Amino acid sequence: MMSMLLAQALSVVRSGQQVLKDVSFSIAQGEVHALLGGNGAGKSTTLLTFLGFLEPVSGSVHVQGRYVSENVSAARQAIAYLPEAATLYGHLNAYENLRYFLSLAGTDTNRRALDEALDRVALQAVARGMRMHTYSKGMRQKVAIAMAILREAPILLLDEPTSGLDPVAIDEFNRLVRDLAEAGRTILLVTHDVYGACHVADRIDLLHKGELVGAFDRPPGMDRIDTEAVHGAFAKYAGA
Amino acid sequence: MTGLIREIRFLASDRAALLWLGIALLVACMSVFLGLREIAAQRAELNELIEIDRTEREVVDALYQDWGEVAYYTFHLTWDSPSDFAFAALGQRDTSPWKHHIRALALEGQIYETDAENPDFALIGRFDFAFAANLLAPLLLILLLHDLRSAERTAGRYEWLSATAASRGSPWFARAVLRVGALALCLIVPLWAGGLPGGAGASTLVAASLVVVLHIAFWWGVCALVDRFGWSSPVNLTALVGAWLALAVIVPAAIRISVEAAVPLPDGGDILLTQREAVNDAWDLPKSATMDPFVERHPEWADYTEISQSFEWKWYYAFQQVGDQTVEPLSRAYREGRIGRDRLAGRLAWLSPPALAERALQAIAGTNMAASLAYEQRVRDYHAALRTYYYPRLFRDEAVSDASIGQRPEFHAMGD
Ligand SMILES: Nc1ncnc2c1ncn2[C@@H]1O[C@H](COP(=O)(O)OP(=O)(O)OP(=O)(O)O)[C@@H](O)[C@H]1O
Ligand SMILES: [Mg+2]
Repeated sequence: MMSMLLAQALSVVRSGQQVLKDVSFSIAQGEVHALLGGNGAGKSTTLLTFLGFLEPVSGSVHVQGRYVSENVSAARQAIAYLPEAATLYGHLNAYENLRYFLSLAGTDTNRRALDEALDRVALQAVARGMRMHTYSKGMRQKVAIAMAILREAPILLLDEPTSGLDPVAIDEFNRLVRDLAEAGRTILLVTHDVYGACHVADRIDLLHKGELVGAFDRPPGMDRIDTEAVHGAFAKYAGA
Repeated sequence: MTGLIREIRFLASDRAALLWLGIALLVACMSVFLGLREIAAQRAELNELIEIDRTEREVVDALYQDWGEVAYYTFHLTWDSPSDFAFAALGQRDTSPWKHHIRALALEGQIYETDAENPDFALIGRFDFAFAANLLAPLLLILLLHDLRSAERTAGRYEWLSATAASRGSPWFARAVLRVGALALCLIVPLWAGGLPGGAGASTLVAASLVVVLHIAFWWGVCALVDRFGWSSPVNLTALVGAWLALAVIVPAAIRISVEAAVPLPDGGDILLTQREAVNDAWDLPKSATMDPFVERHPEWADYTEISQSFEWKWYYAFQQVGDQTVEPLSRAYREGRIGRDRLAGRLAWLSPPALAERALQAIAGTNMAASLAYEQRVRDYHAALRTYYYPRLFRDEAVSDASIGQRPEFHAMGD
C-alpha cells in the first residue's frame, strides 16, 4: 500500500542548529499517527517540512508518493494543516474566517456545511456570528479544527489540536479524529497529550531532540496503545 | 475572479487599510479642489486685468498727442494663461511671475521687478495634486503594504495561509494589487473628476494618470523589495519610511543644493538695479554716450541721432534701450543659468522618483521652467515689437493718429 506521508532519513537545520536527525516514518491511508515529544523536540518542524516550508539538509519527505521538494503545491493541496497557536482573523466572525480560508483553498462551501462542521466541534451557535476576537482560546481552536475538517483534504497535519480544549471537548475531538480516519483520512497529529494520543493513534512516535527514540503501535484487536508504557518512555526522556 | 472578490471583501473588512485609503481620497480631493480654486482665482484675476488693461489704454490713447508720451504712459498687460491641467501641478506658477505690466521703457527691470516683489512665493510650497500624489501617496502606500506579510507572520498565520492557498496563488499578490489599485484610484478619480469638467483633455489626464501609476508602481517595488527580507512589521515600516525620507525629501534637497552650487546664477534683483543705474546715469552723461551704442544696434536711425534740446523723447527711449543693452550679459547669464539648473535638475531627478514624477506632471501641466521661460520670451518678443512700432514714429517725429495707434501690436498669450 502506498504511504500517504513518508519521511526518509530526514534531517533539518534551522538557524544553524540541527533540529531533526535521521527521522524516518511512514503513514498509510486511514491511519492516525501521533508525534509525541517535549518542547523543542522538532514536532512542528516535521509538519512544516511536509508542507515544503523547510528544506531538508538530507533525507526527504514525500506526500502521496511525491517528493515534496519538487511538488510543493501538490503536497499543500493534499494537506489540511492546523498550525499550533492558530489565530484566525479577530475582526471576522467564524463563518467569515472559514469562508476566507476555504475560498483560498478553492473549496466551495455553503452555510449549512459550515454549521455542520461547527456542530461537530461543538461551537456554540450564538458565538458563530460574533467577531472572533471575542472568542476564548478553546473556541478559537474549535473553529480551526472545523476548518481542517471542511478542507476535505485526504491528509490532515494537526499541530497540538487539543491545546486549549476542555476535557469534554478533547474527548469529542478524539472521537472526531477516529471518525475521520475511518472515513479514509490520513492524520498526523502532534501532541503533548499522552493519554489522548494513546486513545486515537494507531501508532505513536516519540521524538526527542530531533531524533525518533521510540515507537508504539496499537496492538491488533486492542482499542488503544498502552498508556503506561508511553508515559514511562516520555517521562524518561523528559527528565533527561 | 473568486479570489479577487474574496480579497475585496477582506480589504473591505480591514479598517486600517480603509482608513489609509480614505485619507488618500480626501487628500487627493482637497488638493484638486485647492488647485482648481487657485487656477480659477488666477484666471479671474487675469480676466479682470485684461479688461482694465483695455479700458486704461483707451483712456491714455485719447490723452496724449506725442509719441513719447503715448509710449511712456501706455502699459500693456502680458500674461501666461494657465493650462486646463495647471491645477494639478502649479509648479512655476507658484514661484515665477506669470503676468507683467510692461511699457516701452527698459525691459529687463520690468521683467525682474516681479521677482523682487514676490520673494515669499517659493517659501510656502503649494498643496497641489502633484504634492499629494508624489509625496503623500508613497507614504500611504507604505502604510498599506508594509505589514502585508509580516503581520500574518506575527499572528502565526503565514504558513497557514500559504499552505491553504497551495498552487492557487498566495493571497499576498492579490492583496497588494488591490491596495495599490485602490490607492491609485483614490488619486486618479478625483484628478479626472476635477480635470474633465475643467476642460483638461483626456489624453492629458491619461498621461498624468500614467505618471501617477508608474510612480506608485515604483514604491510598490520598494515595498516588495523590503518585504523579501522577512523582517517584522516595525522594521519594515522603519526601512520604508527611511527610503521615503531619502528619496522624497533628502535626495531632492541634495539635488537642489548641488544644482545651485554647480550652476551659478546672477541675482534677478541685480539685473534690475544695474539696469536702473544705467538708465539713471544716462541723464547726466553726454548724449553721445547714449546715442553711439544705440546706433550700433540700430544703424537704420544713424541719421536721426542729433539731439539739440536738453530733453528729447527719442534720446530718452534710446537710453532706455541702452540700459537693457548694459545688462544683456547679466540677463543672458541669468536665463542660461536657469536653463542650466533646470537641465541638471532634470538629469539628477532620476535619483528621486518623486522629483521625477513631479517634473513630469509639471511638464504636462505646462508649469515647468520651460513653460516659464517660454512666457518670458513672449514678453521679450512683444516688447521688441513695441520698440519696432514706436521707433519710426519717435525718430521721424510723426503725428499721433488713431490709425497709427490702431497699428500698435497687441499682446497675445500662448494659446489665446
Ligand atoms: N523559526 C525558527 N527559527 C529557527 N529555529 C527554530 C524556529 N522554530 C523552532 N526552531 C528550533 O527548532 C527546534 C524544534 O522546534 P519545534 O518548533 O519543531 O519544536 P516542537 O517539538 O514543535 O516544540 P513545542 O512542543 O514547544 O511546540 C527548536 O530547537 C527550536 O529552537
Ligand atoms: Mg510545536
